[in-house]
Amino acid sequence: MTTVDIHVVLPTRPEGVRHGFGHLREVVRAAELGTLTGAVVPFDADGLESWSVAAAALRDTRWLTLAAEFHPGVSTPVYAAKVSASLQRFSGARLAWRLAVDLDPAVARAHGDFTVGSDRYLRAAEFLQIARGVWRGGQAAGPGGVKGGFTFEGRFFDVLDGGFAPPLSLMPFPQVQLTGASPGALELSAHHGDLHVFTPPTLAAAAELTERAAALGRTVAIGVQLSVLLREDAAELTGAPERDEVDFAGTYAEAAELLRAYAAQGVSTVVLDARPRIEETYRIGEHLQPALQGA
Amino acid sequence: MSIDIYWRVGTHGDQPSLRRRTQSRGGFVDTPVPGRLAPGLRDGVPDGYSYADHVADVVRASETAGFVGGLLPSFPGTDDPWALAATLAQESRTYRFMVAYQPGFLHPVQAARLTASLQAATGGRIVYNVISGGGGPAQLWWGDKVDHDDRYARTSEFLDVLKGVWAGDFSYEGRFYRVEGAGLPKELAGQPFPEIYFSGSSPAAIEAAGRHADYYLSWLEPFDALAAKFAQVRADAATIGRTPRFAVRLDVLARPTEDEAWDEIRRGFANLSPAALRAFEGGGDSVGAARSRGFTGDPSAGFRGLEVAPNVWGGFHLLRGGPVFGLVGSYQQVAQRLDELIGLGVDAFILAGVPHLEEAHRIGENVLPLLARDHDITIPGKDEQ
Repeated sequence: MTTVDIHVVLPTRPEGVRHGFGHLREVVRAAELGTLTGAVVPFDADGLESWSVAAAALRDTRWLTLAAEFHPGVSTPVYAAKVSASLQRFSGARLAWRLAVDLDPAVARAHGDFTVGSDRYLRAAEFLQIARGVWRGGQAAGPGGVKGGFTFEGRFFDVLDGGFAPPLSLMPFPQVQLTGASPGALELSAHHGDLHVFTPPTLAAAAELTERAAALGRTVAIGVQLSVLLREDAAELTGAPERDEVDFAGTYAEAAELLRAYAAQGVSTVVLDARPRIEETYRIGEHLQPALQGA
Repeated sequence: MSIDIYWRVGTHGDQPSLRRRTQSRGGFVDTPVPGRLAPGLRDGVPDGYSYADHVADVVRASETAGFVGGLLPSFPGTDDPWALAATLAQESRTYRFMVAYQPGFLHPVQAARLTASLQAATGGRIVYNVISGGGGPAQLWWGDKVDHDDRYARTSEFLDVLKGVWAGDFSYEGRFYRVEGAGLPKELAGQPFPEIYFSGSSPAAIEAAGRHADYYLSWLEPFDALAAKFAQVRADAATIGRTPRFAVRLDVLARPTEDEAWDEIRRGFANLSPAALRAFEGGGDSVGAARSRGFTGDPSAGFRGLEVAPNVWGGFHLLRGGPVFGLVGSYQQVAQRLDELIGLGVDAFILAGVPHLEEAHRIGENVLPLLARDHDITIPGKDEQ
């Protein structure tokens, strides 16, 4: 049996007449009932904010992993960790982080972020070091606050005597997902990533990432994210107008074949971006997943 | 304007009563044992519930009992208010989530996007409790290096940027923040901007409050001190042509008779260790905490030694985490004191009692109906929209 974890992308902006939290909750429930592994909330400058979406989605599910994508300028790393510690408590540790580092410059400036070039990767590295550091660096709370064992003086962020106390510190830190194929992106992942999600054309860089991580004594899981259109047979596919706009259009059997090929290359996670999302997510759960598992 | 009455949510767990400082709700003790709830143990195994499930019940209880919403406090050891509000956004109909936050921790663009998303999720039921102060060492715990007085300058700038982003097509270059072409996406534009409850007792805070606060929020203090504080805020706000509204945050311990109410306090006091009696240290460089310390009576004189005015008791911090002052008395007496506070100019209350769920029902059912009818009390779902 081939094991590839299947995740889907959640809608953060209107798609046709479907929009808002009502639409996204239906997609989330489709993924949950379809026994998929997870869902990704993209950082979308033109859509809903990802932490709020992830929190709502976690509340509506009991199995799904929810990856909230955000960039390291949205908050201090301590605060991102603090919010996440609660979401981990409320969800049974199903939150993941996806850090958006390589933002379009105009989008970044509109979000108050003027850090450019390789500094963005240095800042992301500090962000993750601090967030992980305070998560496990804590001591007991006192009347005036807390005094922890974690101190960090960085270029972008500082913490003095930081660290969470139980119960916030008791949950596992969110899985860290990263993306991109530039040397900076691979280096960041090698040091700090748990899962690196490539686009299909850049998947070739996975070997380099694995090598860089191994040199540091680490392992980074490999994922691939692609837009798909799935139908039962070729005739149905021919009739679908969206087929030229996606990375992959094919039958359930062909999609299962593709995922097996990915698995053979060491891919453990596939993130599927499929519209219309409610229907496609049910198709993935009812047809692709069993085809993949040889049922 | 009618009087808005909120009921606090405990974001640091809850205890079953004020009689013992034992957290039983929310997993705030290390090892789950029988009798601890949310998460609890079922046949020796964690039952899969979390503190959010209990808070959801407090939210529903508050809504049913007639409160307009609840304050979700934020401290280093608590669960996070944004996380709670986002988690529970869909689970109430009229309840307003008053999110406590410090401006430095989120970028104002993120705060705008997060808030607008939550407004979309709740139908416009997010309220801000903007906290600028806190404590010196605690600020560095949060990774925040900005000094006390500068924090209010930053708060002002933060709220300027947040409001600018909310309005759209906003560029800004200030001391703390810089944005270029910022705004909310079409999907989120047009949401109502949250009401702002503004906390802080220092001169820098009161000055900043004048510009941004819809409500100036204070902990309960002896009534004359509170009246003087309001007068100061009123005078400062008048210099920039604003008329502030006032809110007070206080605990209430009300029972059918005054004796029953004091008996609860007596039991809690009897269980205090001498160390706990000495433990009132206050927090960091908060001016509000220092003011409270200045007003309290002498705990060595017994629990009634802390009653600084009729029914105003300055020992709540000894019986549970949180501020010092609250009201203790019969339902009638507590309602009367609340009426007196309304007479001093209070426009909104954030009430609290331990345990929060049961006391929300008690106060909502027994005290709120006794408030004088010459002022309007906001009835959730009726007066609004």
